[in-house]
Amino acid sequence: MPAIIRFDQATVAVRDKTILSNFSFTLHTGEKAVLCGKSGSGKSTVLKTLLGLQTLTSGKVYFQEKPLDYSTIQAIRSHTAYIGQEPVLGADTVRDALLLPFQYKAHRDHKPTDTQIMSILEQLHLPADILNQESSRISGGEKQRLALARGLLLGKNLYLLDEVTSALDPESKQAVFEVFANPELTVLSVAHDPDWITRCDIALELEEGHLTQETRHEHA
Amino acid sequence: MNTLDIALPQMAVLYGLCFLPWLLLWLIGLRLSRDILISILRMSLQLALVGFYLKTLFSLNDPRLNALWILVMLTVADVSILQRAGLKLRFFVLPTFIAIAFSTLFATFYLVVLVIQPPHFYDARYIVPLAGMILGNCLQGNVIALERFYSSLRKNEQEYMTFLLLGATRWEAVRPYYRVAIKAAISPGIASMSTMGLVSLPGMMTGQILGGSEPWLAVKYQIAIMICIFTSTTLACIINLKLSMRNAFNAYDVLKDEVIEAR
Repeated sequence: MPAIIRFDQATVAVRDKTILSNFSFTLHTGEKAVLCGKSGSGKSTVLKTLLGLQTLTSGKVYFQEKPLDYSTIQAIRSHTAYIGQEPVLGADTVRDALLLPFQYKAHRDHKPTDTQIMSILEQLHLPADILNQESSRISGGEKQRLALARGLLLGKNLYLLDEVTSALDPESKQAVFEVFANPELTVLSVAHDPDWITRCDIALELEEGHLTQETRHEHA
Repeated sequence: MNTLDIALPQMAVLYGLCFLPWLLLWLIGLRLSRDILISILRMSLQLALVGFYLKTLFSLNDPRLNALWILVMLTVADVSILQRAGLKLRFFVLPTFIAIAFSTLFATFYLVVLVIQPPHFYDARYIVPLAGMILGNCLQGNVIALERFYSSLRKNEQEYMTFLLLGATRWEAVRPYYRVAIKAAISPGIASMSTMGLVSLPGMMTGQILGGSEPWLAVKYQIAIMICIFTSTTLACIINLKLSMRNAFNAYDVLKDEVIEAR
């Protein structure tokens, strides 16, 4: 399997404080990895660095074996769906929020059909009538699943997830697990949820910016 | 008809009028004597200096001197806009200068050359006060546009980043904030035009009537200046925000922390 993301001695410091130190790790296409550790251990920094929201102080990060620069960041953003704990829907209604990216030049010609939208909502255990609801009335868990639905509609294959199951009930969580059982999807996540951690192929333990342990889980 | 002069003793009577608000403010417990005194002194001194400069400019009527005066006005306006919008000069001084200079000069020369048509287009009596009025209003609009745009981008940083991650280009991602900022900047001008003459008599028209002009002539000049102010403010805000973005974001389209002044 080709490497999709590679961190090589990556260090990030903000105002003289090191928040990620000599972090090295390779994620291959289709793998699911989870970053664990206490708050402030540098987990979210790993995701932010990949998205260009945090700049490297030293070391290198590669995406599909190309070092991070403007065009690589654009490539990462076009391949990636980032889903945080409280995703921003960015439009007044849920339907508009799901169709928002298709207003942009990059996706204008790939607008999904109603059938495709309905199928993905069903897959994520979201009711069809949610489409007409106001975004401001949507719960945190529904927002996370809608952000995931938007990523799936866009055909994204790399998912950066920050505590994506934190607000989900067991049934919705199961639906999310089933989506990520797809071997074509690559995941780099931050989580505390033991169910999520055991389902991932790789668990990375971070402590004060240092990678202290890398565990690989064998799945049948 | 000549305007009646206000002699020095009458000016003293005029300043005496300030005693009434000062007394009322003092009676209700607001100790603003120092602020009021400084404001009145500053206003009087600044306007006396402007009067002196204008008298000299009008009598010399030298195009180079006129140009220099307009350059000074543009520079002061540039710095003032950025200070009031809470933005760092080193990032925005050039884009703001280009935007206000282009839009002010465009509207002023359009009005002077194509509409008023004085014997010389550089005539200080037309070009200096008209450019000043246009620039003064342009300044207000640009403060609102810049302040609103960058503060809403900072406030909605997560939303902006979401747009980028959904495939928006930087321009597509900032467009909602850009539109809101431009609308906020030009709305007062649109509202002012729609109520002009009903709510208040505009300053320039009043000045011309007091200066002895026929009301119809004063009305035509007022319409001309309002259209020029609206045009230049809109142009300046649109150009300014567009140009300012070149320096405000890092290589990965993230708004730089250091562009906004810490308050």
